[in-house]
Amino acid sequence: MIIGKPISVNTIHRKLGINKLAMNKIGVNTMIIKKVKIAVDPNRGEWSDLLVKVGEEKDKQAFSRLYTHFSPLVKGFLMKGSSFGHEQAEELVQETMIKVWRKAASFNRQKSSASTWIYTIARNSRIDWYRREARRRVDLNADDFYESADENPAYLSVVQIENKKSIQKNIKLLPREQFDVITKIYYEGRSHGEVAEELNLPLGTVKSRIRLALRKMNLQLEPLEMEG
Amino acid sequence: MAVKMHPDLDMLLDYSVGGLSTALSVSISAHLHFCETCRSYKAQLEDIGGTLLDEISPRDMVGPGLDGLWSMLDGATPDTDPLDSDIRDTDLRDRQAPDAVNSQNTAKSGLDSAAELRTLPALIQNLFPVKAPQWRALSPSLQVAKIPVGEQRYELALHKIKAGGKTPNHDHRGLEVTVVLQGSFSDGNGRYLPGDFLVRGPGNIHRPIASEDEECICVSVVAAPIRLLGRFSKLLNPLLSFNPE
Ligand SMILES: [Zn+2]
Repeated sequence: MIIGKPISVNTIHRKLGINKLAMNKIGVNTMIIKKVKIAVDPNRGEWSDLLVKVGEEKDKQAFSRLYTHFSPLVKGFLMKGSSFGHEQAEELVQETMIKVWRKAASFNRQKSSASTWIYTIARNSRIDWYRREARRRVDLNADDFYESADENPAYLSVVQIENKKSIQKNIKLLPREQFDVITKIYYEGRSHGEVAEELNLPLGTVKSRIRLALRKMNLQLEPLEMEG
Repeated sequence: MAVKMHPDLDMLLDYSVGGLSTALSVSISAHLHFCETCRSYKAQLEDIGGTLLDEISPRDMVGPGLDGLWSMLDGATPDTDPLDSDIRDTDLRDRQAPDAVNSQNTAKSGLDSAAELRTLPALIQNLFPVKAPQWRALSPSLQVAKIPVGEQRYELALHKIKAGGKTPNHDHRGLEVTVVLQGSFSDGNGRYLPGDFLVRGPGNIHRPIASEDEECICVSVVAAPIRLLGRFSKLLNPLLSFNPE
């Protein structure tokens, strides 16, 4: 079992400012890798590398690293936003991770980061769980209607990576009341209207907190022409 | 040709967190199929979810874990999902009955109708995995095919207006969302092309007319004017959430 987080040799070289060629010459390559532990920056794409490996080669070891890292996060996310117990949360984690294994070939690193992609799979698994509980038509899965929205990809990876960085940096700086509304909506997977109702806030207040939060996270949102 | 009419940002947010009803989610997906701008918004809103996932306090797995997952996968054939294949089969059988009611009104054979779907986004084809749409005539120029999603509060349907066809004047019981999939139509307010996302409320009377050269196919959601509160709201609300202002 790998205990440290996966990280490519090149990344370590970059972080240490080491010229790879020079290092190979003096033969200290392995030694340095063993000594250095650097936290993975999700934007650097190591997790994406692993996902691509799973997609292309059905690499079980790559998958096991992803599983070790992401399953406790998905479980934490699900338990934070709902009354799921351990067992139920882990059932959904398994469902999510099975899909990660099966659908890894459709992961496109130009379009999203590994954690965003896994977030959407976990979100869809939870939607399907609610639909099964409510005995909705279940031959239709959330994946069926979410994925088809992306038949025509057009999202630039550079923009996307910059956006994610900006979100990461700024989400922690949001004023408490904006942070609470945003996180509640995401953790619980509920509409802003329901969240307004539960927090006993006027809908307009919740809407304006959302706007302000999105602006602070620097999302690239041009005003849309409203329907007539 | 850019899409002119879009869902509002709050609705895209609700969609991105999984907080919309299935019927409304389908209508948003249909719009996203045509609209690059909203796809980019959606991707950014999902990045917030990805970031929150990165930052969450992890909870240790105490159950079967990775070994359990491998053994689940070992028992499965490539095309079946051990988690939902049973449910799918049962549900497919259940769905046959209600649809049969409309079959005498079916304008075309099932095969022709399935072929007709091929020009529409894959999303729409996915909604009819078993049977082709069952078209029912509402007027000489307007046909409707319900899409069962099993929600009480929202009705999802395809509408087809004959080329040049005028639909009857109609008001709305509740909120109505229409997304043009193919062709175009006009009403008193303008002309709508594929991808356009229209929201109409009660008291908003209009009379859509399809363009002369092509039949128009739309997907629509009609919300019943009911507000579900009380003991089931906790469970059902994630699926029934829509708050027209
Ligand atoms: Zn749009």
